[in-house]
Amino acid sequence: TMLPLLLLLLAAAHGLDGLTDLKAPVLASTSLGGRITTSTFVLDQPRCIFTNVPKDTVIWLVVADPKAVPDFNNSVEPGGPGREFQQFLNSTLAYMTLNTTILNYPCPKNPGDITVLRVGSETSCAKDKTRPTCNGPLPGPGPYQVKFLALNGSKPVAQTRWSDRITLRTAQPSGSIAVPGSGHSAGMIALTSILSILFAILLAGLVAML
Amino acid sequence: MAKSDDGIRILQGLLVFGNVVTGMCGIALTAECIFFVSDPHGLYPLLEATENDDIYAAAWIGIFVGFALFALSILGIVAVIKSNRTLLLVYIILMLITYAFEMASCITAVTQRDFLTPNLFLKQMLERYNKSEADNNNDKWMTEGVTKTWDKLMLQNQCCGVQGASDWQEYTSAFRRTHSDADYPWPHNCCVMNAQGSPINLDGCKLGVPGYYNSNGCYDAISGPMNTHAWGVAWFGFAILCWTFFVLLGTMFYWSRVEY
Repeated sequence: TMLPLLLLLLAAAHGLDGLTDLKAPVLASTSLGGRITTSTFVLDQPRCIFTNVPKDTVIWLVVADPKAVPDFNNSVEPGGPGREFQQFLNSTLAYMTLNTTILNYPCPKNPGDITVLRVGSETSCAKDKTRPTCNGPLPGPGPYQVKFLALNGSKPVAQTRWSDRITLRTAQPSGSIAVPGSGHSAGMIALTSILSILFAILLAGLVAML
Repeated sequence: MAKSDDGIRILQGLLVFGNVVTGMCGIALTAECIFFVSDPHGLYPLLEATENDDIYAAAWIGIFVGFALFALSILGIVAVIKSNRTLLLVYIILMLITYAFEMASCITAVTQRDFLTPNLFLKQMLERYNKSEADNNNDKWMTEGVTKTWDKLMLQNQCCGVQGASDWQEYTSAFRRTHSDADYPWPHNCCVMNAQGSPINLDGCKLGVPGYYNSNGCYDAISGPMNTHAWGVAWFGFAILCWTFFVLLGTMFYWSRVEY
């Protein structure tokens, strides 16, 4: 009876389509000033995460609206119908971008290297429909969820878990900055009153002397 | 009679001394105010754009008051030595007028200093820096002044924004309308520059890697010179006026003792 139970546990540990769920993407260190802006965010590269994949695997980043996370289909072609960046949040709820081979994420990473991925940095192709996998600026403050997906050809071979929800900054209108009316400091009040008294004494002296 | 003669002599000596000090202080005030008006830190366009540059008006008044004090102190010395009642009366009246002007200058300088808060400069920077459409010629002039001043400030002092680089992220701005957030999370002048004036690592600057961009704010670089300016005019003027008060009182007393 132990064997069926063990098999059940093993099956549950794999994703629905049999892929192992590896460690989810995380935002980069808080020492980066541009970690989250109003249209971009910065993730740590997936170093030493995809350990058992063939050398010619391509790692894609999936950016999705949280509504698309529960029934996300790994087999849809990146940039294909339903996955165009230019339609993100219009007619599609997810897109894939930042594709690169696993060789660009060597493990272990050199200490002192800043290994990050900036999501939203490509502004030149943001409106270019011929580039549906563009890494364009995000259209709103989100929230968004991301994961890495490893494709061999067009077959998914590994994926990470979905990240926590990432919410971008919202800029307050500059007109809302309160410019308080002049509050008078103690120095100003002291100076004004002392000078006024001195001047009054001088005028009194002038009148008395004439 | 000898005793009161001595008394008068002492008073004369004191008044001459008082006038000498007033004259020298007048020259010092003129020099100090000329220095402030020359705007060595190039911050005047920021004040101009607040449409309230009273600190500069106070410095201008200070220049003329200082010169007037010098001239009047010479008149005072002559009047005291000659014991001439008419001259003394003229001296007293003119000094009182100068006193009033200097009072105005001091009070203006110290009042306007209270008006210059970080939020004021923040709002001005966000609304004017790199603003593309101007309402009228005056607006265009002020916008250009603010933009050039901020560019120079950020380059020379290695700083960004008023309180920090995050100012550009936390608030909308005229800059943001023409420069996308992905390409310019903050202006490129916030990046650490090499000797040729271009960023040493533009991607590092956009990412916000410490060492490739300046995250500290420029408020200290603005408020330091403005404080010196305002306090220099206001409190030095105050000290001169206190001294002049005693000299004038002495002169009035002397006038009432001089015989026709």
